[in-house]
Amino acid sequence: MPETAETYSLGIAVEVGKIDQELKKLWRESESAMTRASLMNLAVYSEEPGSLQSNTQLMARITGNHACRAIVIEADCEAADDQVSAWISAHCHVSSVGSKQVCSEQISFLLKGGCTTQLPNMVLSQLDSDLPFYLWWQKEFSEPIDPQLWTWVDRVIYDSHDWNDFRAQMRLVESAQEETRQRIVLCDLNWTRLDSFRFALAQFFDHPASHHRLAKISKVRIDFAPGFSSTAVLFVGWLGAQLNWKIADAKSLHDLRFVGSSGGKIDIELIESDGQPVHAVVLTSADVEFRVTYATCGDLLEVSRVQAGEKRMPQLMPAGSNDPVSLISEELMRGGPHRVYLHAVNCVRDFL
Amino acid sequence: MNRAADQPKPNPLREGLSARPVPQPCSIVIFGATGDLTHRKLVPALYNLAADGELPPDVVIVGFARRNKTDDEFRRDLEQSTRKFSRQPVRDEIWNTFAQSIFYHQSEFGDESGYTRLAKRLDEIDKSHGTRGNRLFYLAAGPDQFEPILKNLKAASLNQTCRGSWARVIIEKPFGTDLASARELNRIVRNSFAEEQTYRIDHFLGKETAQNILVLRFANAIFSPLWNTHYVDHVQITAAETLGVGTRAGYYETAGALRDMVQNHLIQLLCLVAMEPPTDLSADSIRDEKVKVVRSLRRWSCDEIAASVVRGQYTKGTINGEAVLGYREEQNVNPASQTETFVALRLFIDNWRWADVPIYMRVGKRLPKSATEISIHFKKAPAVLFNKDLRDLNVLVIRIQPDEGISLRIHAKVPGTSFLIEPVKMDFHYGTSFGKPSPEAYERLLLDAMSGDATLFARADEVEQAWAFVDPIEEAWCAKKGAPELFLYPAGSWGPEQADDLLARDGRAWRRL
Repeated sequence: MPETAETYSLGIAVEVGKIDQELKKLWRESESAMTRASLMNLAVYSEEPGSLQSNTQLMARITGNHACRAIVIEADCEAADDQVSAWISAHCHVSSVGSKQVCSEQISFLLKGGCTTQLPNMVLSQLDSDLPFYLWWQKEFSEPIDPQLWTWVDRVIYDSHDWNDFRAQMRLVESAQEETRQRIVLCDLNWTRLDSFRFALAQFFDHPASHHRLAKISKVRIDFAPGFSSTAVLFVGWLGAQLNWKIADAKSLHDLRFVGSSGGKIDIELIESDGQPVHAVVLTSADVEFRVTYATCGDLLEVSRVQAGEKRMPQLMPAGSNDPVSLISEELMRGGPHRVYLHAVNCVRDFL
Repeated sequence: MNRAADQPKPNPLREGLSARPVPQPCSIVIFGATGDLTHRKLVPALYNLAADGELPPDVVIVGFARRNKTDDEFRRDLEQSTRKFSRQPVRDEIWNTFAQSIFYHQSEFGDESGYTRLAKRLDEIDKSHGTRGNRLFYLAAGPDQFEPILKNLKAASLNQTCRGSWARVIIEKPFGTDLASARELNRIVRNSFAEEQTYRIDHFLGKETAQNILVLRFANAIFSPLWNTHYVDHVQITAAETLGVGTRAGYYETAGALRDMVQNHLIQLLCLVAMEPPTDLSADSIRDEKVKVVRSLRRWSCDEIAASVVRGQYTKGTINGEAVLGYREEQNVNPASQTETFVALRLFIDNWRWADVPIYMRVGKRLPKSATEISIHFKKAPAVLFNKDLRDLNVLVIRIQPDEGISLRIHAKVPGTSFLIEPVKMDFHYGTSFGKPSPEAYERLLLDAMSGDATLFARADEVEQAWAFVDPIEEAWCAKKGAPELFLYPAGSWGPEQADDLLARDGRAWRRL
């Protein structure tokens, strides 16, 4: 394997105009049995100094499960002079079915100066043809969002947890979506964080005989970590949207209350305490409590249904992880639009 | 009747979380719970589902067998085998919770009182574990035990449930040994369970690539216009294995390759390749189309069988550099055995789509490599343009196992000033493109049975039609006079040369695997 195929380095520096040739050379020079694989283009954009290295490490892990052409971009928009530096490398992993090395290419860019003008061309010229294009945006969106780039994006990935002004950011994303007339799928990692909890809670109500419990929910308690109130609110939004709850005249998060479709009141209790972003959810429906909490081992959820006079063993389910690689991997496994996410956002937009 | 109104309302919290029918809480009763299948496949599959969070929380496993065992002993045995055979390493925390839902029920299969006790126990489990009266009976015992088990389940009213609950039965192959016995088995099953309660498992259909055949054919518009007699020259299906008969001689001596593999696995694969597009993806729409394929298989006279079917048996030889015994020298095999370990067939599907397209199938033990593949060989392009006859056809290969994937062979110009044309291969490997390994076939199939999705299970008429096709071959082989010869082939070869002749007569050859 050539030296450039090491996992965590940026690889070899190349001239921007010769990236294609250099990539071909990289594969020609491969000594061992390697297969190049790609199911998508995954570009990650950050303005954080040093992000080229940190994102390269993330890509090395992500490509283990999701073969792709990785495009890693670090932008220094404040630099005085315009300059672009580029590197190529490969992330290789032993395939799940044997000893074959499966490799994903990475092209890295350091953009200095006029970032917004350079970015679309840099990305568009390096896309692997005919494969979907996922753009992972690691900073807040700012106006104007370049339609030249967005027109080609299939899924835009962001983390609303990092946003200072959810409503303003969401407006930008939605208007960009509208302007480009593209069916861009919005992938919020803050929403992905809730997947395992949503899954664990939903399975309580799979049997039709348990549906009546949904109409009797009177209280929702969510324990969340400091800084993750938006994650907890999204969870509440999900319940509200899916169960047709309406907000009952709340002015702030602290007195958030819903009215159910049958007119009953639903109290929402959001409790901040140390732990995972969301570490416990308890639904109360008449005399039954549906609980999802982290098990002591830390990477499993303990799922239990508690009713007076009934003793049931809690079940353990996979808990997911707040690690960006797990969140992105979870997101990349998914297809189709995020209708449920948008409904949840709309339900609690004023509180995000 | 308004069918939509009859459907239970979906769980609103499930929207967007699951793209498959959701499995229901239930008690899974495994008959033959101390056997190999339970230890190697079923319980490891259920554990993997639990570890992946795919198993509903209220699922209980009840092992039903003759030996005396306590719940704890049974759990310990299963833990040991699951640690050995599970796809993913066993985690203590998950196993401990999972094991709390495993119970053992000792009874003879023929003892009616054992079933009465079972019914009582299941009622108690419903109350203590929320299994809601749903029962899934898995018949992992020998086929000779099916009748007493099914009769006794009925006698104990375990085939019936109260409103809103269900009872289903999963049957392992062999589904009979010929048409008469298959009909008899179906009758026995029907006496206790309706067809929609019956799930006949064929683990080949649980494999990712087998399911992908439908996606390849019906989600890719480029193949659909070519998938017929106008463009397809012929089809080959190979199921080869390097293994010999091993410890299965007792069964294999009475079955042979035709009954063991062709009647079920290979015909099922052929159906997926040859069927018409179903009207929808419901179990019966798909199975209706599959059964039409089996019904359209051309039936043969005795003479035609000799000309279209080759049977063989391995003699001693070499596999992967090691000397191996011949079939007749294997343990528990009759030294004069006439059981076939290899079959090659030249079939025709007499319908509009496949008229005159030969389908070549071969299956065998002790062949040079283990591989199950389907290949679609397309007709030659006219030779006029390049003034030469292109040797190789375009071939689309669907690899079922191992290294699941799809490849397409096309022609390309060799770089240079001359017009040299050579075949090149475009290759897709599941393992390369998708890092996440596929679940085991049993995981998928058990979930389907818990969800009430019978798409990947064989229906009674499919099984009977397949036997109706296979029986005349068996009869011809067993004829006292003029039976087609059993050809011998050395272990490690691709079968008797007569199998090559089947294709050579048509100017074709088996694909090099």
